[in-house]
Amino acid sequence: MNSRMSRELKFGLVVLLLAGAIFLVSRLFGSYPGARGAPSYMEVVLARTLREWAVPRSARNAHNPFTSSPELLKESARHFADHCASCHGNDGNGATEMGRNFFPRVPDMRADATQQLSDGELYYIIHNGVRWTGMPAWGDPDHDMDSWKLVLFIRHLPQLTSDELRDMGRFNPRSVADQQEEKEEEDFLNGGPAPANSKTTPHSEPTK
Amino acid sequence: MKKPCLTLLAILCLSALVFAHGDLAHILGTVVEVTDHSVSVKTADGSVKVVAIDAETHFLKGKAPAAVKDVVVGSRVVIHAHQNGDKYHAAEIKIGVATPAQHP
Repeated sequence: MNSRMSRELKFGLVVLLLAGAIFLVSRLFGSYPGARGAPSYMEVVLARTLREWAVPRSARNAHNPFTSSPELLKESARHFADHCASCHGNDGNGATEMGRNFFPRVPDMRADATQQLSDGELYYIIHNGVRWTGMPAWGDPDHDMDSWKLVLFIRHLPQLTSDELRDMGRFNPRSVADQQEEKEEEDFLNGGPAPANSKTTPHSEPTK
Repeated sequence: MKKPCLTLLAILCLSALVFAHGDLAHILGTVVEVTDHSVSVKTADGSVKVVAIDAETHFLKGKAPAAVKDVVVGSRVVIHAHQNGDKYHAAEIKIGVATPAQHP
């Protein structure tokens, strides 16, 4: 049995045991183990430990082939806005509608728990995703330079400026309703009629 | 029958123009006052919303960056603002390029 299979087997066994324990506890206390509550401290520690085990040492020590530059940061910020911000938010704080309600919660990537990961770990997580969290695997399995560029952007998150945030806002995915709303506002600014489909109750937006 | 339909259409067109987009309220209307710290906007329902501005507020006229001096009484604006109760703080103010129609 090679080391990868062994690691996956250990990972799977621990997750199965954990899931079984959570199921038993929830049955004992009569509560549905949904995604409403925040993960307990033990769940967080276990999940992070499991994730750490799951990243091979060679991947953890891998070096980013790119060096940060204004051009690369702009490119990766726009990529992040388009692909990642729906859950993570443009500023990476994770306080989006989905981010707040995932189980586990989407982390604030500006915080130490993310920033202290190595470049290799960040890349590995983006490229391979994280099971049972909602984090998908991104990029082509064999060639994924964009994820390395995203690592540069994640490193830059704590220094993100308001101008950069504004630029990212233009690249966030927009629903048909949002596009319609924008068009109506533009028409209004150009002297057209006021939009008819006004809403009075704020709703959350996946990006910030 | 025609009159109620027209009335309904008018209400729909001119109904409250403060609505939300994401976490930001959208305020559409005509500027009635500008100070160093706020922009007051008369919305189509006749109410006046006072929206605070500061150095973080971003101004746009068309696609071009603008400044608070470009916000003049009578111009149409779309303001994206953070809302806290009945207080608003503008994140972005888009300034209309057309002269607003005069209300009778």
